[in-house]
Amino acid sequence: MANMIMASSKTLVPPTPSLSTAKPKLPISQIPALPKITLPTLSSSTLIKSLSLVAATSLAVAPPSFAEEIEKAALFEFNLTLPLIMAEFLFLQFALDKLYFTPLGNFMDERDAAIRERLSSVKDTSGEVKQLEEQAAAVLKAARAEISSALNKMKKETQAELEQKLAEGRKKVEVELEEALASLEVQKEETIKALDSQIVALSQDIVKKVLPIS
Amino acid sequence: MNVLLCSINTLLKGLYDISGVEVGQHFYWQIGGFQVHAQVLITSWVVIAILLGSAIIAVRNPQTIPTDIQNFFEYVLEFIRDVSKTQIGEEYGPWVSFIGTLFLFIFVSNWSGALLPWKIIQLPHGELAAPTNDINTTVALALLTSLAYFYAGLTKKGLGYFGKYIQPTPILLPINILEDFTKPLSLSFRLFGNILADELVVVVLVSLVPLVVPIPVMLLGLFTSGIQALIFATLAAAYIGESMEGHH
Repeated sequence: MANMIMASSKTLVPPTPSLSTAKPKLPISQIPALPKITLPTLSSSTLIKSLSLVAATSLAVAPPSFAEEIEKAALFEFNLTLPLIMAEFLFLQFALDKLYFTPLGNFMDERDAAIRERLSSVKDTSGEVKQLEEQAAAVLKAARAEISSALNKMKKETQAELEQKLAEGRKKVEVELEEALASLEVQKEETIKALDSQIVALSQDIVKKVLPIS
Repeated sequence: MNVLLCSINTLLKGLYDISGVEVGQHFYWQIGGFQVHAQVLITSWVVIAILLGSAIIAVRNPQTIPTDIQNFFEYVLEFIRDVSKTQIGEEYGPWVSFIGTLFLFIFVSNWSGALLPWKIIQLPHGELAAPTNDINTTVALALLTSLAYFYAGLTKKGLGYFGKYIQPTPILLPINILEDFTKPLSLSFRLFGNILADELVVVVLVSLVPLVVPIPVMLLGLFTSGIQALIFATLAAAYIGESMEGHH
């Protein structure tokens, strides 16, 4: 490869008129065997000489066919392509910046900012939520205490009322019992009295009947 | 003797034709009296069309939750931004488009040479290959890089930028000046040599053993192509960053 690149920079084969004008635009078919004829005619004197030349041309230097191809190979040829590629690149940079880098970059930055903002706001609300939870717990506690106290109060009230009613009822019953007992006693005495009077009459009757009338 | 030489010639020429290596063969167009390498322009148009087309499709309607292709392009953009940021520093913003375009253009060019079946399209002369296969392209990119870092330094520091030539001592002035020539030279020749050598190796191997054997070399070629694109972009960013940084 190095051989080829080296060869591309300078002409290896003595330039024949047709070769020196052979620009790279020429099709390959036009120059197949030009140097092959010119080289051996120079050294056709002895066999050894020509053999050594063959060896030299085919090994040490690029072989004639290579040389011929390479001579018009323009590896390091600069021309209008260079500024055109520059212009194309600048156009591509402009277009990609307008189509890709700036819009997508802005979009990504905005999304980043939005996410960060939302994240920080979420962090804030977590404190708020804690506060609210504490408030709720306090409210619940207070409500519970209130309810239990009210319940206790109500219990006491109802118990007192009940006891009072019970006592009243008991008193009433007692009074009624006493009254009933008293009236019973009175009735008892009355009946005893009536019985006493009747006893006298009955005993007289019995005496009259049993004892002959005298 | 003539017969012997002729037979050697035909043999070598036959081998040469079979291998199909066409080094330095160009398909010429005439534009206003100047010659251009048409195959380079054609392939570069295809590369540009691929880049712009995919960018339009991907970024046409960006979603908050990215779709597959948008995700890929976002990843690429993040990668480019990362490269620019690490090399240039905090003021990398305006240079993302330059570095990114360098990277994408070289990368897609290199891969197009390996992946797109250019050989199907027959040219009257020469053949289609990666645009970075041509020295004009790589030198154009390298010169643009040189212009970019001069522009970066001059806009950042004004004429004080040229003070860097006598830093740290005036003795280094020739070397510092020489650096401005070696930078684009090394950039362009590195890329050109790598891509050309890669394509040549693949072509030669394919001509020798058409099946299976060239595949590892092709994969290696894809790898080096990507690496070369990254190296070019990274070095360009490094040069820009170097010319922008202050000498305290």
